[in-house]
Amino acid sequence: MPSTLLPKRVCACDSAVIEVAHPCRDHVRVKVAVPGFPASVPGQFVELRCGQAGTNAPRERCWTDHGPTEAFETSWLTREPYLRRPFSIADRTGDEQGAQVEIISRHIGPGTAFLDVLKVGDTLNLTGPLGHGFDLPSPNRSAILVGGGVGIPPLLYMSRVLAAEKHRGAHLVLGAMSRDLFPVTCSESPAEDGRPRRCLQLPGGAPYAATVTTDDGTIGLRGRVTDGWQRLADREQLSDPIVYACGPSAMLRGVAVLTRSLGWDCQLCIERNMGCGMGTCLSCVTRVRDESRPAGWRWALACSEGPVFDRDLLVEEWDHAAR
Amino acid sequence: MSAKSAEKETDPRLTVSLAGVKLRTPLLTASGTCGYGPEYADVLDYSRLGGFTTKSVTLHERPGNEPQRIVEVQAGILNAIGLANVGLQRFIAEKIPYIREMPTRVFVNVAGYKQEDYVAVCEALDEFDCLAGLELNVSCPNVSDGLMFGTSPELLRRLIEAVRKVVRRRLLIVKLSPNVTDIAAMARAAIDGGAQVLSLINTYVGMAINAKTRRPLLANVIGGLSGPAIKPLALFNVHRVYREVAQRNNIPLIGMGGAQSVTDVIEFMLAGASAVGIGTALFVDPALPVKIADALGEYLHSNNIASASELVGKLALPQ
Ligand SMILES: Cc1cc2nc3c(=O)[nH]c(=O)nc-3n(C[C@H](O)[C@H](O)[C@H](O)COP(=O)(O)OP(=O)(O)OC[C@H]3O[C@@H](n4cnc5c(N)ncnc54)[C@H](O)[C@@H]3O)c2cc1C
Ligand SMILES: Cc1cc2nc3c(=O)[nH]c(=O)nc-3n(C[C@H](O)[C@H](O)[C@H](O)COP(=O)(O)O)c2cc1C
Ligand code: FES
Repeated sequence: MPSTLLPKRVCACDSAVIEVAHPCRDHVRVKVAVPGFPASVPGQFVELRCGQAGTNAPRERCWTDHGPTEAFETSWLTREPYLRRPFSIADRTGDEQGAQVEIISRHIGPGTAFLDVLKVGDTLNLTGPLGHGFDLPSPNRSAILVGGGVGIPPLLYMSRVLAAEKHRGAHLVLGAMSRDLFPVTCSESPAEDGRPRRCLQLPGGAPYAATVTTDDGTIGLRGRVTDGWQRLADREQLSDPIVYACGPSAMLRGVAVLTRSLGWDCQLCIERNMGCGMGTCLSCVTRVRDESRPAGWRWALACSEGPVFDRDLLVEEWDHAAR
Repeated sequence: MSAKSAEKETDPRLTVSLAGVKLRTPLLTASGTCGYGPEYADVLDYSRLGGFTTKSVTLHERPGNEPQRIVEVQAGILNAIGLANVGLQRFIAEKIPYIREMPTRVFVNVAGYKQEDYVAVCEALDEFDCLAGLELNVSCPNVSDGLMFGTSPELLRRLIEAVRKVVRRRLLIVKLSPNVTDIAAMARAAIDGGAQVLSLINTYVGMAINAKTRRPLLANVIGGLSGPAIKPLALFNVHRVYREVAQRNNIPLIGMGGAQSVTDVIEFMLAGASAVGIGTALFVDPALPVKIADALGEYLHSNNIASASELVGKLALPQ
């Protein structure tokens, strides 16, 4: 058998839930002990089995706009999750033997509803680590870590890794729509000017400095992550930083445009619909530039070539934004 | 692990034969759910697998459909990948070297939009001794008249006849589409054309709609349904083809469609399948075919059944 170039992974591994927390209304943070979990990097993800035949099928959230109301919902007739669900690694501690892996999930449907009701002592079936993560910055290069909404978790892991490596000059900028959707506990509200303060009670207890923005101003600075980070850039006089970002596609486009106009390097972690997470179903495609192709682009698999890509490779986030 | 040492380890009760090709276990991977080999190499032990079926290969490279390509539905998924694949040339240059080293039987699934395309791909692949067989995916529309090869007995027979002429050394498997009124007629046509093994079923055509946006969920609008949702339908198709066509013509069947447990596999074999393909369930656990084979070995042992092939077609029908 030829040796494989793919990183090693654990597959369908039963893992014990050792910690559960609800940092805000819509998010749950779950920590599991995963025997034999190989080395991982921020930006990589895991695929979780969210429910099994026989367990209660979780309820679907009622529709926000014009959908059927609560009265129409029958919890025993909702769709039961079949495929695994992808989640960014939000933190990882311990070596291969005693690894602890954390994910933060936002409740949006039946799969995430299953995660929402997990308890310590439950079992979570996990495959990972999957995909290609962020390239870590060289020790002296300043880095801006930008996370929006459900895109926050990989940046938390990144900030933890950089702190562990005693990396100087990493700035965390996190944004959400409102406090209810901000998946990290703030021990103290950040200042109105968004100046980073020791304010985020991150998993593991260590307080982290971060700039926080919310669209409605319920915590941190009112506005978008890109606003928060521009202030930060002005204030800190950063030269040649690298930006790492994960979040909704509109945010990623904003980050792509801004970093490009500033001439800064940038890596984006994207989300695509995934079937297998391992490069076999060919469903998670995104257009990447490829001058060797007649069309100038080709499909890349977000689950294996990504989910982290250099900004300039991504046609949708970069080219479309440039138009 | 070399293929030889593994063969010793595998329970001999599990060995089955497909028209003379011996499989270590009755468990195969289904096309399109396991890539070309390297993708699952670290998580699925190929030396303990009955056989591996590649993603469809077409004459020319195909980029595939716009996303969204997969939607989860109740107990299964809909896919409209669009036969994305590297094409014959790159398959030979980039994938065959890996396949050559795989310690299992490898079947290449071949698709096309013209009879000549199938013939060209099969003729080229017939040369490779590392391949155990070719499986024809006939669920594609024929460009000349838009009819699916697998929905017209006459079209299907002619296609298989033409391919048969160039496939001299590989096992020729024809994979039937369930989107027909009379699958037994298709099975007959495929056998008349020269098919040595039939596999069934491919996916059922279906669709999913987002009631909020009023849009189809798949960019391609329609897609193929697979997973546990189709298992009863797949069992019926295997049962019917076995009883009406395959048994009397001595043509082995590969059953598939929603199988994901040892009980499912036994059910398919009782209905008439000599081997069983695992598809969509690999997305949840790629090691499933090995886990199921182990469980099947235990089942045979504890029930004093000397060989898995004794299960084939042993459905106890009401008198
Ligand atoms: C690489 C990657 C990392 C992710 N990391 C996180 C994370 O750290 N925290 C978090 O809360 N969410 C994350 N997501 C999104 C998360 O996977 C979805 O919210 C989740 O799958 C929804 O499942 P559901 O059953 O609750 O919802 P449903 O909408 O009912 O899911 C139906 C199907 O759509 C897929 N799906 C739905 N939303 C998404 C989405 N946004 N992206 C991809 N597939 C989706 C599901 O996997 C499932 O197959 C990530 C997605 C990807 C691709
Ligand atoms: C994502 C996906 C891609 C598939 N691609 C192919 C293909 O390229 N060629 C083919 O003959 N069948 C293809 N199939 C069909 C499967 O091989 C199998 O016949 C079908 O899915 C039923 O089995 P299952 O329910 O175990 O998945 C595909 C199925 C899925 C889910
Ligand atoms: S999720 Fe299946 S190929 Fe990427």
